[in-house]
Amino acid sequence: MIRAFIFCLCLLPVTASAQDFAIQHADAWPMTGVGKVADATIVVKDGRIVSLTAGGPVPAGLAVIDAQGRTVTPGLMNAATQLGLVETGAASETNDQSVSNTSLGASFDIQYALNRNSVLLPVARADGLTRAVSYPSSAGTAPFMGQAAVIHLKENDDILERAGAALYVQIGSASLAAAGGSRSAQWQLLRNALTDARLYRPGKPDQPLNRGDAEALQKVLNGQRLVILTQRESDIRQAIALAKDFHLRIAIMGGDEAWRCAPELAAARIPVILDPMDNLPVSFDQIGARLDNAAILARAGVEIAIYASGNTIYLSYDAGESMRQAAGMAVGNGLPYEAALRAITAGPARIFGIDDHYGTLSATQDADIVIWDGDPLEPATYPWKVFVQGREASLETRQTLLRDRYAKPSPLPKVYTK
Amino acid sequence: MKSLQIVMCGLLLAACMVLPVSTGAQPQAAGRHGPPGRKPAPSANTAPIIPDDGPPPTVSFMTDRDPSTYKPLPRQDFLIVHATVLDGAGHRFDDADVLVRDGKIVAVGSGLDGGSARVIDARNRWVTPGIVDPHSHNGTYSMPLTSIDNESSDVSEMSSPIAADTWIEHAINSQDASFLYALKGGVTTLQVLPGSTPQIGGRAVTLHTIPAPTVAAMKFPGAPQGLKMSCGENAKGYFGGKGQKPTSRQGEMSNLRDIFYQADAYRQRWRHYQRDPKGPPPARDLKLETLAAVLDGDLLVNIHCYRADDMAEMQALASEFKFKITAFHHAVEGYKDPDLFRKTGTCAVVWPDWWGFKMEANDGIRENAAILDAAGVCVTLHSDSPVIGQHLNIEAAKAAGAGRHMGLAEPPEHVITWITSNPARVLGLQDRIGTLAPGYDADIVIWSGNPFSVYAQADLVTIDGAVAYDRADPAHQPVSDFQLGRKAGGTGQ
Repeated sequence: MIRAFIFCLCLLPVTASAQDFAIQHADAWPMTGVGKVADATIVVKDGRIVSLTAGGPVPAGLAVIDAQGRTVTPGLMNAATQLGLVETGAASETNDQSVSNTSLGASFDIQYALNRNSVLLPVARADGLTRAVSYPSSAGTAPFMGQAAVIHLKENDDILERAGAALYVQIGSASLAAAGGSRSAQWQLLRNALTDARLYRPGKPDQPLNRGDAEALQKVLNGQRLVILTQRESDIRQAIALAKDFHLRIAIMGGDEAWRCAPELAAARIPVILDPMDNLPVSFDQIGARLDNAAILARAGVEIAIYASGNTIYLSYDAGESMRQAAGMAVGNGLPYEAALRAITAGPARIFGIDDHYGTLSATQDADIVIWDGDPLEPATYPWKVFVQGREASLETRQTLLRDRYAKPSPLPKVYTK
Repeated sequence: MKSLQIVMCGLLLAACMVLPVSTGAQPQAAGRHGPPGRKPAPSANTAPIIPDDGPPPTVSFMTDRDPSTYKPLPRQDFLIVHATVLDGAGHRFDDADVLVRDGKIVAVGSGLDGGSARVIDARNRWVTPGIVDPHSHNGTYSMPLTSIDNESSDVSEMSSPIAADTWIEHAINSQDASFLYALKGGVTTLQVLPGSTPQIGGRAVTLHTIPAPTVAAMKFPGAPQGLKMSCGENAKGYFGGKGQKPTSRQGEMSNLRDIFYQADAYRQRWRHYQRDPKGPPPARDLKLETLAAVLDGDLLVNIHCYRADDMAEMQALASEFKFKITAFHHAVEGYKDPDLFRKTGTCAVVWPDWWGFKMEANDGIRENAAILDAAGVCVTLHSDSPVIGQHLNIEAAKAAGAGRHMGLAEPPEHVITWITSNPARVLGLQDRIGTLAPGYDADIVIWSGNPFSVYAQADLVTIDGAVAYDRADPAHQPVSDFQLGRKAGGTGQ
């Protein structure tokens, strides 16, 4: 027994550092548009995927993981989280996702706040999430929320993958007060800011924008993604017009009534980041919310990414499990299965510009891979193994430690059980 | 940040309501001699704290000014055939039939003869009892949420930490679309609880998810009444923040002990008066009346608590005043000590995956339900949110999946009890709903498949044997007044 125990202790670190291996006998979804590949062999070297082939051989000398027919997908990506920014929601000093009473508007950038030791990251990773967008919820000036980051859920490492992944603004009833009470003002403030940024000249005194905000908006004018968090049809149409007028690359987030503009969004190549569980008329902006929003948009050819809000709880807690549930419910309401998987892998990768190295199981992509113990879109399914850039990640979380501490009888009080 | 406030209110709903005061509840109509009538036989748990020198109580503090006017929808007898039936009592029947007559379950079995009853073919489909949600705020946190709700919602009366005199049914907007969304998700009965900012939030009400013009027409006939209490961060945070008591957990306990002592004395005054009705009757006190009803064992006590040590304090309070806690709600640390429930038969009303959003919710785990269930505790899922209130079957699936993942696998016929017969017990309706057995109300859901799959849809929902929702028939897809004519997404797609 002792020998076996030592063996395990030795094996784990070795496995964790080995980035060369092959997965055999996988039911693989490469997300390259070919559907599911049965009995797939996936070869990984130096943390990158070398090949995915049906029934292919394993190069000599390579460690083999027999998936035994389990489903394999890319590590998942949640396009709307506050991972690394929020720890305990009600304890405001543990939150960095929003600011007020500051001049930081479009330039408010959450990249400097990311906490690689957040206990919420391992929970998300143990649910198959290896990438996420962490977005700010409000900046100092309306209608800006600030700069989001793409994070990479690596263990014991820097999680910032791409700062300034997009600028976020919020339009609609949920944030009217900061703009004086009218959504017209929200649009005007945004349009004015973009125009002022275009006219901004360094060193020139008395300009309407401060230097930071002007530079941030100039990036948007030069092609940085602008994500507009909005729900109502009229605002989505305004967003389409804004993109046309200023030649912007925008995305809609929320988009409860986006289905009403599906053809226009498709024609303008504007993606939508949505929560398929968001089907209630929670506000006057969301009268048209419906469960098949994702299905209608995808059918029209709109690129979608799926997240789950859960009254904002799921943005930080269980961000992997809840997103899989949301994708599954979209399938239950008409979204094709592969489209749902794409909306939590390659879709968001493309929207946020990291599809050159993440989002599919194809050659040269990062080996972010999950082997599942069932259907990944069933929230009751768990990963069997998670790899981040070829490194097998621990599936232990603070929550599993609490579970195990209390699940077993112990002679001493539980504080002695570690 | 207005947006943040709205979000946070939505986020924590009962958990962290920060909404200011709304108008008070209407006064209860008072009979000259207090609420007369029915009085159950005294139970062993009603021994008073103050020495009782009187006979057993016959005064009831349970007068209902607005009794149920609920009438079932038009109905016909039906026979469901070839279904996979989970009966809510722990059994699974494959290729089975369910016969319904006059709104009641007549039989569950194979090859049943329904006579002239409508036959519903449920081949490849699953049948369960209607889902019961023991913790809803539907009708008081009505959609759409507006700035008016942000300033004064009807979830809680916020002027006092002891809102025991309020009845949530006096606030319910029966037109709230969330009832219809719950119905579409297979929920046939739900308990609307007051919020958890006051320590004693007031009296609850049990409703059918049936579209109706008044709350009385939704009230489950003859359902026992619940009481909402809370412990922990909410009351001290809200009232303490305004410089009022309680500013602390010990202040909360002091408030509760004080009011229960007063309630016991009030109960004694009425007993004395009843024995010797000279002079004017004792002055009615609506707060003390509610708590006297608790001491009489007439109200089912539901307490919002997160931490295990908070729940232990509440059990100590219940022990001191000799009442039973029917259920702890949220109970995210329940798994730390199942004896907090087991010893008193208290149910655990939990989420699978909502935790972390405040300090007392930091230690939530997804396996909470499965661990408590394995320890013999009555476990139920709950919504606390109109979003979750539409898919409690998936909440149960997540909780069961977490259990399976740690080696506590339970079959569907057991997991279904978490959202049917167990919450029926929390509502005191375990002999009427939550189980498909002869004599039970015909509250039934036909699912498109295994209800614990994320892809499942409620195809048909009956309440008292009447079709209340039919996914295939627009004539049985209700739309709220609010949504009518508004280009709504609707509940029918």
